[in-house]
Amino acid sequence: MIKQFVLIGLLAILFAVFFVSMQDIQELYNTFGKDYIAASGFADTGSRNLVTAILLDYRLFDSLFEAGILLIAVSGVIWISKHEIEEKNAQFMLDKFNTPDLFVTFSRLVYPLMLAFGFYVIINGHVSPGGGFQGGAIVATAILILYYIDADKETNIGLIVTIEKILYIAILLVASLSIVTRGEFFTNFFALDASADTKAIYLVLLNVMIGMKVALGLWTIFTAFLKEGR
Amino acid sequence: MGNLDMLSLTAYALQVLLIIMAVSIVVHKNNGTIIILITTFSLITASLYVINKAPDVAIAEVAIGSAIIPLIYVISISRQREFIVLDKAMDDFIIADNAFTGVGYVLLKRFTDFYHLELNICNDVRLCSLGAGRDQLLCEQTNVDLIVSKDDERNVYVLKGKASSILTYKLEAMARDYDNIEVVKFKDRDFGD
Repeated sequence: MIKQFVLIGLLAILFAVFFVSMQDIQELYNTFGKDYIAASGFADTGSRNLVTAILLDYRLFDSLFEAGILLIAVSGVIWISKHEIEEKNAQFMLDKFNTPDLFVTFSRLVYPLMLAFGFYVIINGHVSPGGGFQGGAIVATAILILYYIDADKETNIGLIVTIEKILYIAILLVASLSIVTRGEFFTNFFALDASADTKAIYLVLLNVMIGMKVALGLWTIFTAFLKEGR
Repeated sequence: MGNLDMLSLTAYALQVLLIIMAVSIVVHKNNGTIIILITTFSLITASLYVINKAPDVAIAEVAIGSAIIPLIYVISISRQREFIVLDKAMDDFIIADNAFTGVGYVLLKRFTDFYHLELNICNDVRLCSLGAGRDQLLCEQTNVDLIVSKDDERNVYVLKGKASSILTYKLEAMARDYDNIEVVKFKDRDFGD
């Protein structure tokens, strides 16, 4: 009982502090960063989508660690679901994965569209909303639907994770290529005064690599969950 | 009304709906309903992101929150509801007269119905061929919940399960009425690190 009162009291204090700090938000609020990026974001990075401009150029350092976190999460899931006995995927007598026929047919219809939309979102990441992470998640969802169509699908997790690790190293290499051309880490490796179309090559390349990496990572997590129960 | 336009009205309505969804996720008891509610929560959040001019975040929210997470939940929950029994004895304990009427099956069925679980009895050849010494390893490393084997010397059926599971204790209490059934509990070991 005392615990709950203390908890409610803490929440009340937290709310009061939050409320007080919200009072002078008008003074803290400024538009310097927004104005700068809106004015010179396209000229600096060649990306019409200013979110991608920040993710893949101004703050690429943060995005690389974000991609690294996903890799660490995948490694953790695999480590937890590792088992010594080989016969994990034993076919159980009554364990049949019953998927309704209507759902299977509908999945077959939707699957290519989802895959195409995912690739569209990845490749157009610098023009329209989206990018590597979002498109990769859509591609991963499309791949996951395959498991509903064919429940006995076998996947080699080790191979997928190896490809993912190699892709991550490649992303790091592409990102740090700018030290040679521009003299600073983690930005576009084309010159600052190059045309927007030239800079877009770098953006598309990095978006495609991040998208593939995210798709493989989510695919691995899902496969690990699926195997755990069989 | 005054300065309220249609878009901000929609935003307010969605925020109220979001709170209702959050409360109902906590209140509901049925797992399937909760998954659908979580999906709805993500979709409402995504619409709010779009209204607040953040389409990039909205796409990520739709892809992760309303596609991948529900799929993972559906798989995990459909696996959790099963109580998997490995039948090593392979005699009339489970199947008598070509039907599930054996003594053991009736007991296990009564037990799983009590907890609203789905009974899943398997006798996979490769798993059954492992020796009795590896039973504990089998319980830890695979998703088998209970192992049924026969002790020929004493003519007793031995049910082996994990000591950490409350289900095993309940099964032990239910099996006390039967003379020829014995429940053995594995002690938990530290493994993995």
